[in-house]
Amino acid sequence: MFRKFMKTTLLTATLLTAASFAAFAQQPDFHRILQRVDELNNFTTDFSAVFTVVSEKPGQDPSVTRAQIFRRDPKKQFLIVILKPDTQKGQGYLQVDNNLWFYDPQSRQFSHSSLKENFQSSDAKNSDFNQQSLAEDYTVAGSSDGKLGIYPVYVLDLKAKNNEVTYPHVKLWVRKDLEIVLKAEDYSLSDRLMRTAYYPNYAKIGDKYFPSRMLFIDNLNTGNKTQITVTDPSIAALPDYLFTKAYLERVNR
Amino acid sequence: MMIALRNLNRQKKRSFLLGGAIAFGILIITLINGFAGSFVNNVSENFSHLFGGQIFIDGFEKSPSGRRISIIRDDSVLTDAIKESGIPTTYITKASSFSGTLIFQNNTAAQQVVGTDWQKASYVRSRLTLVKGSFANMDNPHGIIISDRVAKQLKVELGDTILAQLRTATGQLNVGEFQVAAVSHDPGLFGSIAAYANLQYVNTLLNIRSGDYQTLGIFLTQGENMDVAAAKLYSVLKGKVQMFKRETTTASTNPFTAMQRATQNETWSGTKYRLYTLNDRLAELKQIVGTLNTSGLVILLILLVVIMIGITNTFRMIMYERIREIGTMRALGMQRPTVRNLFLLEALFLSLGGTVLGLIASAIVMTLLHLINFGLNTPLFLLLKDGHMTFDLKAGQLIGNLLIVAVLTILAAYFPARKAARLNPADALRSTH
Repeated sequence: MFRKFMKTTLLTATLLTAASFAAFAQQPDFHRILQRVDELNNFTTDFSAVFTVVSEKPGQDPSVTRAQIFRRDPKKQFLIVILKPDTQKGQGYLQVDNNLWFYDPQSRQFSHSSLKENFQSSDAKNSDFNQQSLAEDYTVAGSSDGKLGIYPVYVLDLKAKNNEVTYPHVKLWVRKDLEIVLKAEDYSLSDRLMRTAYYPNYAKIGDKYFPSRMLFIDNLNTGNKTQITVTDPSIAALPDYLFTKAYLERVNR
Repeated sequence: MMIALRNLNRQKKRSFLLGGAIAFGILIITLINGFAGSFVNNVSENFSHLFGGQIFIDGFEKSPSGRRISIIRDDSVLTDAIKESGIPTTYITKASSFSGTLIFQNNTAAQQVVGTDWQKASYVRSRLTLVKGSFANMDNPHGIIISDRVAKQLKVELGDTILAQLRTATGQLNVGEFQVAAVSHDPGLFGSIAAYANLQYVNTLLNIRSGDYQTLGIFLTQGENMDVAAAKLYSVLKGKVQMFKRETTTASTNPFTAMQRATQNETWSGTKYRLYTLNDRLAELKQIVGTLNTSGLVILLILLVVIMIGITNTFRMIMYERIREIGTMRALGMQRPTVRNLFLLEALFLSLGGTVLGLIASAIVMTLLHLINFGLNTPLFLLLKDGHMTFDLKAGQLIGNLLIVAVLTILAAYFPARKAARLNPADALRSTH
């Protein structure tokens, strides 16, 4: 009787251990997925495109901003030149190393800006136009499988690795097959949902996928949303002079 | 001298009008000088209550990534230095603050929120006029006092819960919830500093420990001595901890802005402190006072030039009126300089009389204006002392004004006086004027 009980117990324990090992073996490497998401978004070559940013606020007419963007991710350089509206035409954001400068053609002055600041009063942040470093900034604290529309996704719960990352908690919906982000929720330190981002369309350029349409919804100010459409993407080499203050000044003459 | 005084008395109406004109000029300049003199004191005193002191110390750390973090973790070295410096203090305040966005049902307002210990914050209570609610409501840890302008912008009522979007001390985004505990009168130009909350909750939102804070404020027994006291304290602190260099006012920047820039540009390890005074923060006020005083002087000079033209003409007329009298005095042996001095003394007495009259009138007007209670809920409250206009006159300014009036009056009378002195006694006696 005792032997039978022991056998059953051992068998159950063995099966459970094997099952948990199997489950662990099937668990995707989420850190690698984050790295892959970063890789797909970050260009090893130069990149340029035109971004159209449409911001909507309740009771106000939508504001439309068009901007030309130039990126050189390996050197952490990027330049945004505002093309429209006329009142902001010629304003620019230039990142050289870790310094982000804002240029105002009216005053002809450069001032310090930050990737953490909102782009032109929209719900998009300056960092949304730049390369991203999810794998470097976050650890995957939790995960689950889910479905977003017709796509099976990993729902990843990310916690910031240090206390200087803008959003301390981020939730990502990553499409399983292509490992691209379809949706993101950004939370405050007090864990209040601040912003939801949707990436419904991706375009392929070279071996990279980049979101060709993005929708940012402000969850604190109900009704505030910003849609970004990307056109004329190119990975052609860009001249070095683009990433200089002198160019921003010259382009306004 | 007696003749000069008697001459003034001979034409009372004329002397009174001329003296009255001088008195009016003195009245205007004295009021402007007096108001400008009290302007800095009143604004400084009101601000010291709103900011929580006259001398302030901020602590800064640099994160490994180079980010500046505003924090004071252990203030024992600071409090010891205050004792060691021997500066006379009334009390010491501790505060943390953030600049963020207040949100209520899609309405937003940019606002600086100062977290302070409400059990000890009598200094704020004495200068905040509440339109709605009460200070007792601040017992609620999430309580906030906002200005009526911000309340109107957000469309909030007492007890409503508003959101605050801010960045923590290390730059992360955070959202807090506040309940409107009271609505204060908007102190006008400086309304953006008029939101107050509890220190503990502000610390929580900034993600700093409950015992930590960002700014230590010192209330001095004699607030006007803040610069001397700050220099003493700075020299003691410099020997104990890392300190940012104290900057002085330049034409292009004020000391506070210069020190602000230094905290961004310099690199250091550990905690580095910045000491500044209310005068450093309000350096622009000194420029306003300078402008007021210069404007006052220009007004005085314009008034006096007009008055001087009147005096010159009047003395010329007086000379012709007294031409036979001058001839008689000269014929009796009075020398030319004596005749000239007679006129000049008359002018000097006129200016002295006018100045005294002007000062008496100024004292009456200033007393009457001081008696009016404008209350604390006026946009001018920062310029007032407990709701009353005050005037601070410097002896040097008064003496300077008196000298200007005396010199210009004598100058105005000089040419008619010289002409009178040069009259030929025989011609003067023959004159039919």
